[in-house]
Order: sequence, then C-alpha cells, then structure tokens
Amino acid sequence: MSEQYPALLVVVPLLSALVICVAGWVNKRLCFPIAVAALGVAAYSCIGLLLRVLDEGVIVYKLGGWDPPMGIAYYVDHLNGLVLSVVSVVALLNLIASKKSIDQEFPDKIGPFYTLYVLMVTGLLGIVVTGDAFNLYVLLEIAALTGYGLLAMGEDRAPLAALNYLYMGTIGACFYLLGVGYLYIVTGSLNMVDIAKILPSLYQSKAVLGAFIILMVGVWLKMAFFPLHAWLPNAYTYAPSAASSLIAPLVTKVMIYVMIRFILTVFTPEFAFNILAVSDSIVWLAVIAIVMGAILALAERNLKKMLTYIVIAEVGYMVGGAWLGNRAGMTGAILHIVNDALMTLCVFLVAGNIVYKLKGYAFDDLKGLYRKMPFTMTAFTVGVLSMIGVPPTCGFFSKWYLILGAIRAEHWFFMGALLFSSLVNAVLFFRIIEIAFFEPFTDHHAHGHDHQPEPIDEAPLSMVVPLWIVAAALVIVGIYTSDIVTKIIQFAIPEGIL
Amino acid sequence: MKIIGLIIAVLTGALLIYGTVDFPGWADPASPASTHLSPHFIEKTMEETSVPNIVTAVLADYRSYDTMFETTVIFSGGVVCFILLRIFRRKEPEDRLYRHVLTGATIRVKEGGKIPPDSDDFERIDTLWTPHDLIIKTVCRLLIPFIQLFGLYVIAHGHHSPGGGFQGGVILGASIMLLAISQDLRTAVQRMREKVDALLSPTGVFIYAGTGALCLLLGLNFMDYSALASVLYVDPVTARSHGILIVEIGVGVAVMATIIWIYNNLSSAGKYDEGL
Repeated sequence: MSEQYPALLVVVPLLSALVICVAGWVNKRLCFPIAVAALGVAAYSCIGLLLRVLDEGVIVYKLGGWDPPMGIAYYVDHLNGLVLSVVSVVALLNLIASKKSIDQEFPDKIGPFYTLYVLMVTGLLGIVVTGDAFNLYVLLEIAALTGYGLLAMGEDRAPLAALNYLYMGTIGACFYLLGVGYLYIVTGSLNMVDIAKILPSLYQSKAVLGAFIILMVGVWLKMAFFPLHAWLPNAYTYAPSAASSLIAPLVTKVMIYVMIRFILTVFTPEFAFNILAVSDSIVWLAVIAIVMGAILALAERNLKKMLTYIVIAEVGYMVGGAWLGNRAGMTGAILHIVNDALMTLCVFLVAGNIVYKLKGYAFDDLKGLYRKMPFTMTAFTVGVLSMIGVPPTCGFFSKWYLILGAIRAEHWFFMGALLFSSLVNAVLFFRIIEIAFFEPFTDHHAHGHDHQPEPIDEAPLSMVVPLWIVAAALVIVGIYTSDIVTKIIQFAIPEGIL
Repeated sequence: MKIIGLIIAVLTGALLIYGTVDFPGWADPASPASTHLSPHFIEKTMEETSVPNIVTAVLADYRSYDTMFETTVIFSGGVVCFILLRIFRRKEPEDRLYRHVLTGATIRVKEGGKIPPDSDDFERIDTLWTPHDLIIKTVCRLLIPFIQLFGLYVIAHGHHSPGGGFQGGVILGASIMLLAISQDLRTAVQRMREKVDALLSPTGVFIYAGTGALCLLLGLNFMDYSALASVLYVDPVTARSHGILIVEIGVGVAVMATIIWIYNNLSSAGKYDEGL
C-alpha cells in the first residue's frame, strides 16, 4: 500500500469530504469522526511518505498510469515531504481542537463546514504534492474557494473582508495561471521537471522573463507579501476561530512553498539568482515587509488583528530568506515554514480558546486571563517565546539560520529587520502578558465591589490538549532542529546553492 | 489612488505584451506547443484509449486528475453558496397565503390557524405572487423535455462530438432553472427538492473520484482506468473509453445538481420561497 501514499493523501480527504456532505443531511454527529479519520489517514500517509523519501530519495507517482509529461505526475522529494507532513498534522490538530467552537458557532451548518474544511486541506495537500504546474493551479482554486467560504462565515464584517480577499486572491491565481500559460507557450509542457529541462535554452527569452515576473507577483499576492497584503488582516480577524486557525498557519506557508518550488525546481537557482539580478531588490522588499508588519502590529489593540500583522512580517522572513540566494538563508526559509506553521497554529488556537470563552479578543478582554485560563495562557507563553525567538523553542533556530544567511550574503539590513522584528514581537507580547497576568479580570456584567480571586474557567479539555501538544511540539522541534536540517532540509536544497 | 491604479494596470499590460515578443508565430507548426506533446496525443490517442475525440481523451484520461478537481471546484462552489446563504430558522410571517389552484382564490391563514390539508388544490404563495403567464408556461413545458433529452445526448456523446459532462450537466440544470423562471421556485423545488440537489452534487463527484479509487483498489494507480478491464470484461484499452464515459456521467450529475443548488440559494437569498 505504501507505494500508493501519494494518491491516498489527496484522495482519502476528497472522498471523505463528499461523504461528510451527505452525512450532514443524515446525522450531523457523523461528520466530525469522518473528518478526523480522513485527516488522520492523510497525516499517516504524509509521514509515511516522508520516511520513504528519506530512505529512497525522490518518489514519482504517475496518475492514471500515464508517463509524464503526457499525464500528471507527483514528485515527492525532501522539500514537499516535509511540508506535506506539517500541513496534514497542523490541519488534524486544529480540527480536533476546533470541534467545540464549530459546534458553538454553526449549529445548523456543521456538515457543510466540515466538508469545506476537509476540501481545503485536500487542496493544500494537493498543491504541495503535485509536480504539474497546471494541476497546482486547479488545487489552488479549491483551496482558495473553500477558504473564501470558511472565512466569510465569521462576524458581521467577515463577508466583506472575504469578498476583498476573493478579489485579490482571484487576481493572484489569474497571474499564476498567466505565468504558467506563458511557460506553456514557449516550452509546450506543464510538467515542472520537463519545463525545467527545456528552459535553459530559453533563459534569454522575454516570454520567460514575463512569465517569471507575473507568476511571482501572483504567488506574492496569495501569500500577502507586504505591498500586496491588504486583504489579509480583516479576512483573518473576523473569520470564525476554526477557520482562522486553519488558514493563517497554512495558506501563506503553502504559498511560500510554491515560491521556493518554482525557484528551485522550475526556474532553477541559476536563473533566479544569477541570470536575473533581482534577488537583492526582493530581499529589500522583504525588509520593508518585516518592518511594516511589525509597526502595523504595534498599532493594534486587538489580539487577533495583531497576530495577522505578525503573519505578514513572518512572510517577509521567509521570502527574504529564500531570496538571499545562499544555503543558510534557504535552510532558514524552509525551516521557518515548519516552525511558523506550528507557532501560528499555537497562537491562533489560543485566540480561538479565548473567543470560545470570552466572546471577544480585544486587549481589554484579556485582563486577568492567566488566573482564569491558566492552561491556555501557559501554551500562549510558549508560542510567544517561540515567535520572539527564545531558545530552546523552534522559532530561535529558524531565525538563527536566516540571520546566518543574511551575514553570509552581507545583507545587513535584512539582519537588522529580523532583529527589529524580534524586538517588536517581544514588546507586543509582553504587553499582552502584562495585561493578562497583572491586571485583574473585570466582569462587564457584575459590579460587585469585593475583589475575590477569579475562579478558573478554562476552555474544554478537547481544546486544551491539542494546544498543549502544539506547544510541546514547538520545543521538541526546536531541540531536534539539527536532525531536521541535516536529514531533510539539506537534501531539499540543490547542490548548486552554497 | 485612481491614477496609481491606472499606472499599475498599464504597466502590467505593458509587461504582458513585452513578454509576447518572443512568442512563436501565430499557428506556427514548429512552435513548442505543437511539437512537444501534441504529436503524441494526435497519433496515439485512438490506439491508447480508443476514444476518437482527442480533446475528451486529454481532458478525461491523460489529464483526468485535473478534471476531477475542476468538478470538485464546482461542488465546493455549491457548498459555499449553501453555507453562506441558506437561512434555516427564518422568522415566518404571521399570516401565510395559500392560493386555490382551480378557482384562483387566495386565502389567508392566520398565525396558529390550520394549514390546508396536504392536497394539490392549494399552493403556498408569497405577497408578491403574480399569475404565471399562460404562453410562457406552456412553451416552457413543451421545451423542457427536449432540453433534457439533448442534455443526455451531450453527456453520452462526449466521446465522438463536442460535449461531455460539463456541458450536458449545465443543459440539464438549465432545464430545471427554466421551470423555476417560467413558473416559480416553489414549483421547481417541488420537482427537485433541496435535499436531492444537496445529495446528487457530492454523489456526482463521488462517481468520478470513486472510479479513480476503484482503479487504485484493483491494484493500479489512481485513475488508471485500464484496471477496470477485469470488472467490465473488456480489454484494457476499451476499459479506458468506458472509464471516461463513467466519469463523464459523474461530472454531468454533479454539475446539474450544483448549478440548480446554486440557483435556488442565490435567487431566493437562501429562503427557498418564490425566488426571482
């Protein structure tokens, strides 16, 4: 069965999404177990696949039995094996953690919600596993369309924010498709490996240059790279907790994976870093993204929105790291995909627990929270330390590699931006910890004068346990960083990058 | 801001046009798109899949996996419309209006009053109800069966002529939408209930993906229809052709149900009353 893992990890969630849609009309209680089983199988296949890749190297899976480039093929190497495992595990943990809040927020529409959730994960896994540029677009559409639906289910302002995202996301996807179209016209192929084989003779072609620019801009739009980020904060803030804690950790990271895949496999580092003299300006854009993300986050007085600006700054880290054009920077970017997915999941799950209990996420709502929800806030502290970059949490190590890359490339401003952003993160989060730890909880409804200690009112166990698993993972991944780098990421980066 | 937007749009357009400078000539037989993969499809399709229509073979066999997800995109569009628009616990108006079909008399049932017994004599109407136009109603009634027949033809003949599941499914769905437009949404929903749409839509995609999964269970790769040979009692090449027909039927069912589902939710803003 193990040779079928590449198909199973996409097909099982897809079929289950359809079954969930039907089950929603029969018995709503069936939806959640099916979804968990589906994502469990997907996660099992992804991890099994990663282990096989570690043993055997690149795995090719021909869909329909057709040889590439005639048919569609999956190529699984160390890079997407790693990202697949992260995506599937994050989606599974978030699903388990979000059950209560989904039950609370959409009692009528549990079936369609889980359908969209599992379909979205299908789309993200498909984007990561595929080796075909057009197939990637189709799955991008699925992930985007379901994402718009999930995000629009939130508060009153959510539909408008999701509509903005829909406009920008559609433009991004169109740009990507145009880029692929240009490549198809000059190469006649849609298969990534095949395109990469044909391209070297066309590096001077204006069409390839046009394709590269339009494709990169499309992908940047999708990942909310700084000047193209305007859709993200509102869409993620007003979304239901279950959706924002799925989409915030995964979508931007998956799009960064797509960017790295196109740099490393399709256009090859030779073209991206040497023939085009753009890497320096892109790292500059990343510097601006990091600084602006940090400053905009400082201006917010509400937890979820502040976190969305941090997501934007983190996108800057990874884009910058990838475009430094050296081994350390690329390692940092890939490692940060893993770490940032876990960190973002951790803090957004905390936000979800807070919303579940308090129905609000403004800073004023957080007063006395360490006393009221001690377990949630402990996990929050771990997530925060990781975001700031305190060892031994994993956030430290990816930042370390990024800074090494910046030093190797002698890009001092990128290094400065990384340090600045860490400092700002420290300010941001210690401000929250101060409010939540030292200021007493104020109940808006009761006006008793006696200040009795607030009783513990923790989120349910099914929300806290996955959160703690994520928090523990932050430390464990941090401790095993050297293994991840030497056994996996090292092989994901081609020899040519020094 | 408008001027900045204009400048950006012009620059993007200029970039796209600049990229076309190095394109191969229009309809150039030596262009990569015509020399790299197309010869294989043109020469080998009949031999490998026994489908005379090359477009169908590429769409539903060589790149069948893409098409499966295109169908899934349509399905997820239906689910998104449903989850965003459908209102289940709507405030019912205090008085319900019922129309006696034979005489045309309208009765008003007060809150808590008895609803007419479940018979064909009465139909539920809204305050904005207008009589159906006899000519439109009759013409549509005559046309709908033929439209549906044509839809089935388009699905079944995707192998030989332009057409296939997407087009046929849209035609079938349009016939029900025509019923909803020529009369009202309630009439159409009586013929095809919401639950039927909501179940057929995933079922159609399931037929497609399930066929692929069946190939996997029979021991070959996902979507390798030649695995169906042992089930269908034909040779592997003919099995590919049959496999295409099965998935086209799945696409047809999914597309039909989904566009009706989307129309119902959009036209009545999720209330399932008279609609447009």
